Amino acid sequence: MKRIETEILVVGGGATGTGIAWDAALRGFKVTLIEKRDLTHGTTGRYHGLLHSGGRYVVKDPVSATECIHENRILRKTHAHCIENTSGFFAVTPEDEGPYPDKFLEGCRATGVDCAEISVADALRREPLLNPRISRVFEVPDGTADSFLATHATVQAARHAGAQILTYHELMGLIIEGGDGNRRVVGAKVRDVAKGMDVEIRAQMVINATGAWAGMVTQMAGVAISVVPGKGVMVAMNHRALNTVVNRCKMPADGDIIVPVHTVAIIGTTDERVTDPENLRIEPWEVNLMLEEGDKLVPNLSKARVVRAWAGVRPLYQEDYAGASRDATRKFALLDHKERHGIDGFITITGGKWTTFRLMAEKTVDLAASHLGARKPCVTATTAVPGADQGNYWLGHRLHEIEEQKLQGQLICECELVTRAMLENAAKQNPLLTLDDLRRDVRLGMGPCQGGFCTYRAVGIIHEMGKAGVWEGDAGHQTHAAEEWDVAYIQSPARNVNGSGSVGDRPQQQGGSVGDRPQQQGGSVGDRPQQQGGSVGDRPQQQGDRPQQQGDRPQQRAGQTPPLFNPNLLLRDFLQERWKGVAPILWGRQLKQERLDELIYLNVMNADHLPDDQLASAMTDFYLFDTTPNEHEVHP
Amino acid sequence: MSDLFVIGAGLSGLMAAYTAARAGLRVQVVTKGLGSMHWAAGTVDVMGYTPEELSRPVQRPLEAIQALAHSHPEHPYVLLGSHQVQVALEEFTALMAELGLPYGGAGGFGALAHSTSGDNLLLPSAVGALRPAFLAPSAQLAGDMARPEPLLIVGFTGLRDFYPELIAENLAKQGFQARAAFLPLSLLTEQADRNNVHLAQALDLQARRLKLGGELKRLARAGERIGLPALLGLDDHAAALADLSAAAGAPIFEIPTLPPSVPGMRLYKALRARLWRMGVRIDVGLEGIGANVIAANGTAGRVQWVETATTTSRPLKHRAKAYLLATGGILGGGFDSDHTGRIWETVFDLPLTIPQARHQWFRPAFMDPAGHPVFNGGVAVNAAMQPVGADGQVLYANLWAAGGALAGADPIQQHSLEGLAIATGWAAGQAIVRALAQ
Ligand SMILES: Cc1cc2nc3c(=O)[nH]c(=O)nc-3n(C[C@H](O)[C@H](O)[C@H](O)COP(=O)(O)OP(=O)(O)OC[C@H]3O[C@@H](n4cnc5c(N)ncnc54)[C@H](O)[C@@H]3O)c2cc1C
Repeated sequence: MKRIETEILVVGGGATGTGIAWDAALRGFKVTLIEKRDLTHGTTGRYHGLLHSGGRYVVKDPVSATECIHENRILRKTHAHCIENTSGFFAVTPEDEGPYPDKFLEGCRATGVDCAEISVADALRREPLLNPRISRVFEVPDGTADSFLATHATVQAARHAGAQILTYHELMGLIIEGGDGNRRVVGAKVRDVAKGMDVEIRAQMVINATGAWAGMVTQMAGVAISVVPGKGVMVAMNHRALNTVVNRCKMPADGDIIVPVHTVAIIGTTDERVTDPENLRIEPWEVNLMLEEGDKLVPNLSKARVVRAWAGVRPLYQEDYAGASRDATRKFALLDHKERHGIDGFITITGGKWTTFRLMAEKTVDLAASHLGARKPCVTATTAVPGADQGNYWLGHRLHEIEEQKLQGQLICECELVTRAMLENAAKQNPLLTLDDLRRDVRLGMGPCQGGFCTYRAVGIIHEMGKAGVWEGDAGHQTHAAEEWDVAYIQSPARNVNGSGSVGDRPQQQGGSVGDRPQQQGGSVGDRPQQQGGSVGDRPQQQGDRPQQQGDRPQQRAGQTPPLFNPNLLLRDFLQERWKGVAPILWGRQLKQERLDELIYLNVMNADHLPDDQLASAMTDFYLFDTTPNEHEVHP
Repeated sequence: MSDLFVIGAGLSGLMAAYTAARAGLRVQVVTKGLGSMHWAAGTVDVMGYTPEELSRPVQRPLEAIQALAHSHPEHPYVLLGSHQVQVALEEFTALMAELGLPYGGAGGFGALAHSTSGDNLLLPSAVGALRPAFLAPSAQLAGDMARPEPLLIVGFTGLRDFYPELIAENLAKQGFQARAAFLPLSLLTEQADRNNVHLAQALDLQARRLKLGGELKRLARAGERIGLPALLGLDDHAAALADLSAAAGAPIFEIPTLPPSVPGMRLYKALRARLWRMGVRIDVGLEGIGANVIAANGTAGRVQWVETATTTSRPLKHRAKAYLLATGGILGGGFDSDHTGRIWETVFDLPLTIPQARHQWFRPAFMDPAGHPVFNGGVAVNAAMQPVGADGQVLYANLWAAGGALAGADPIQQHSLEGLAIATGWAAGQAIVRALAQ
C-alpha cells in the first residue's frame, strides 16, 4: 500500500478545500489535498455562477452581506480572469412592491454593499429584454465567476506553493489513536479510485472541507453534526438574454435570479431538503417554476431554447436545525473537534458561499495553525493566482483569439470554441478518467448540441494520443505531472497554439501523425512525408494484424476500473453524462437537437453496438442516475 | 394550383413527389430546411434491428418486416406489407441507377432482385461498429464486412471528423483484420477552415484525386481494401471513385461520419435534379405554419389551403388537390413541443400518438436499447398513408403523410430511416395518384 506523510490533509476538492490547500501551502505547511472525483465534482461545480456583491443578503443576513462584498473586492484581483464584471441589478417587479426595496437600500448602507438606484429607463437601455413593468432598479457590484477555472487556478497556485493535489482519491476512513476524551486523528485511509488502490495518508491535521458531505466525514470519527443538504436546481437558457446579473428585489426565494455566465443565462434556484448530496433529481415542477419565475424578470424567456439543467446542494450547517432549509444560516461553520468533541487533529469547515471561500480558508488555516504552531501570516488576499494577469473574463475572448490566430480549422467543439490543442493539453496534463473532466477544463460539450459533435472528436483524439504513447507508463494518472501544467491559459485558444509543450513532448516519429499544432497544419505537415502517412500504418503489430476474437474482451465487469482510456467507454460515459443534464429539459428545439445526436451516435456511428460494452468507469453509475421527468409538474 | 403539394424535402417527400410527377401530376414541394439525408449515412437502412432483438442486427430485413405483423401491427411497414416495401425499394434502386448514383446490396448492383441476396450489409461506421444497411451507394459497398479482404483505414492528419485508428481498433476487437494509416490533409486542401463538404469538393478535381490515389497505392498492402472518410467528390463523385480505385490499385470504400453528410448530399442533389427535369419546384426556406381545413364531420374533412412563411415575406397560401405531410416528426421539425409536455404537429395539428406528458417520453439511459417512447410516436395513418383519428377514420380526404412523421416506429433506433421514407413516400405517392385519378 502506498503511504504519504504530510502535515495537513485537506479532504474535498471544491472551492473551500482548494482554498485551504492554497492558503496553508503559502503559509509554509506541507499540504496534501484529496478529492474523491475530479476537482469541483461537488457543489462548486454545480452552482449558479454568481460572484455575490452581498446584495442578496443585506436584509436577511447582514453578516453574510458584509463578508460577500469584502471577498468580492478581493477575488476581482486575485482571480481576475475567472470573473466577468457584469454588474448586477435588483429590480422591483409588480409582484415585489412593498417595504422591501427601502429596507434593501438601508441594508446596503448598513452592510457596506455599494448600491445606487438607477432609473428604469437607464436599466432598460442597458438590458432591453428586462420586464418593462419594473418600477425601481438598484445597481450593485455583482459579477459572475467560472468556478471550474477558478478552482484550477487556486489549485495551481497551491501546487506552486508546494501542495500535493490528488484527484480521484476518496476518503474511506479516518485513522484515530487514543482513547475516550483523548482521541486524535492521525491520518486517513484513502482509495485511489482510478487505479483501484489503497493509500494511507498520515497527517497531523485533517481538515474536512467536504461541503454537503461533511457530516459523512465527521461520522468517520464518530461525531454527528447537522449539515442540511438543500438542493437547488438551475436552468441554463441558450440565449444570454442579459449581460447584467438581475435579481428580484425581495426576500430571497425560488427562481429569483438570472445570471449570465459565458454564453448562457442561468435561472435559479430552488431549495429543497434532500438526503443524498450525490444523486440529485431535477423535478419537472422545479424546471417549470424556474421558467415561470424567469419570465417575471425577462418576459418570454421561457420560450427560448433551454440548454441544460443541473442541481447542487447547499451545505447548510445548523447546530439545532428546525424549519425550512432556506432559513438556515449561510454563514460558514468552522468546527474545532478538539474543543467540541475532544478529538484532536480534526477540523470541519462547511457552509458559506463560493464567494467567501477564501475567507473561509483563511479562518480555517488560522485555526489549524493555532494547533500546529503558526508559520507565516495569511497572504491569499493579496496573492494573485496564475492567470489573473489576463484581466477579467469577457464574453468574446475565445472568438477573438480564434479569429485573430485563424484557428477555425482547429475547432473540435464549435459551440464553445474549443480547439484541438486546448483539448490535447488539458487531456495530457490533467489526470483524466472521463471526458467530463475535460468538459470542466475547457468547456467541451457545454454548448447547445451538448456533445453532439465533439464527443466523437474528443474520443478519437484521445485515442490517437494514447496510441502515440502520450500516456505511456503511469502518466495518465500521474497527478504530479500536472505540476508542469500551466492552467493559467487552459481556456485560451491562442495560448494553446504551441501546446504548452505537451504536443511537442511526444516521441519524434509520432509528432506529425497525431499532432495538430496549427503551424504544422496544411502544407507543413505534408512536407514531412517521412513522418506521415504510414507512420502509424507501419506499426502493424499495434493494429489488426492480431485479430482478437470477440470473446477476448477484457474481463471487466461493471464496477471494476477499466484500462485507461477505453475509447468506447469514454464515448458512452460522456453521452450519458450529457443526457443526464438534458433529459429534464427536453422539449422544442432541444428535443430536436437530441434526436439529431441520436441520429449521429445510434444510427450513423451505431455506437450502441460497440465492443467493450461491459466496461464501466468510476463515474458510470453516477452518470446513469435517472433524471428523466416524473409526473410532478407542480410542487407535490 | 398544383395537384400535389408536398411539405418537406426529405427522402419521403422527394420520393412521393417523384412518384406523383412521373404519373403526370403537377407537384410542388416546399421545405423549411433540408431533410435528415444531410445528416445521415447515405445508405438505405430498411431494418437493422427489430424492436424485439435490439442487440443483434437483422440479417434479412424484408423477412423481418413480415415477422413484425403480429407484434407491431401499427408499424408503417406492416401497414404496407413487405411486398410493397420491396417494390418501393426496386423503384428507388432503378431511379438511382438512372441518375448515375447506383445503390446496391449484399448481392451487388442492378435491379433489386439481382442486387441483393436479401441480406443486410454490415458496413464499418466511423467508430468501427458494424452498421446494418440494406442498400448502399456503390462507394460504400466494398466496406461490407462479409467480404474477406483485410481493411486499411486511411485518415487525414488533423481532420476532425474521422479517426482511423479508432475504427481499426474496434474492427480488430470484433475479429477483423484492420489497420490504420494517415495521410497529410494538405493532399486535399491548404485551407485552414474546412468541413467535409469543402474536402469532397476538393476531390472533384482530378489532379488531386490522382495524387491521393498514388499515396494510397504506396500505403496499401496486397489484397487490402481501403476505407476513407466519405468525402470522395461531390459533383464528380463517380469519376472520383473510379479514379481513386484505379490509382490505388485496390477496392476503395467510404465511411460516413459526422454531419454534414456528403453521401446524403449526393443523394439529395441527384433526386432534386431529377425532379427539376420533371418540372417539380422545390422551395427551400418555406415553412408550413398552418392550414385551413374543413373539419371531419361524420365524413372525412378537407384541407382547403396550407400556409407557409419565410423570414422575409408574409405568409403565403397554397391550394392543391392533394397535400402530403412529410415534415419528418421531431427530427425534421414537423412536431414541436413545450415544457408543459404539449407536443403537436405544426401544420395541420394532426393528432399524435405521443403522450402529452413529458414523464412518459423517456427511458433513463440515453442508449436504452428499447429507445425513448417520444421518438416512437407520431401521426397514425391507414394503409393508404392517410392520417386517421383514434377511431381509425380518415381525417381529411385530401391529406397524406409519410416518412419520419409517422407513428409506430423509431427509425433511428431500428435503423430503418431511409427504408421507411422510401416505402411510405412511394406508397403515399401511389395512393395520391390513384385518388386523383378518380
Ligand atoms: C444551487 C446552488 C447555487 C449556488 N450558487 C452560488 C452562487 O451563485 N454564488 C456563490 O458564491 N455561491 C453559490 N452557492 C454556494 C456555493 O456553491 C458553495 O457554498 C460552495 O461551492 C461550497 O464549496 P465547498 O468546497 O465547501 O463544497 P463542495 O464544492 O461541495 O466540495 C466538497 C467536495 O468534497 C468531496 N468529497 C466528499 N466526500 C469526500 C470523500 N469521502 N473523500 C474525498 N472527497 C470527498 C466532494 O466530491 C466535493 O467535491 C450555491 C450553492 C447551491 C447549492
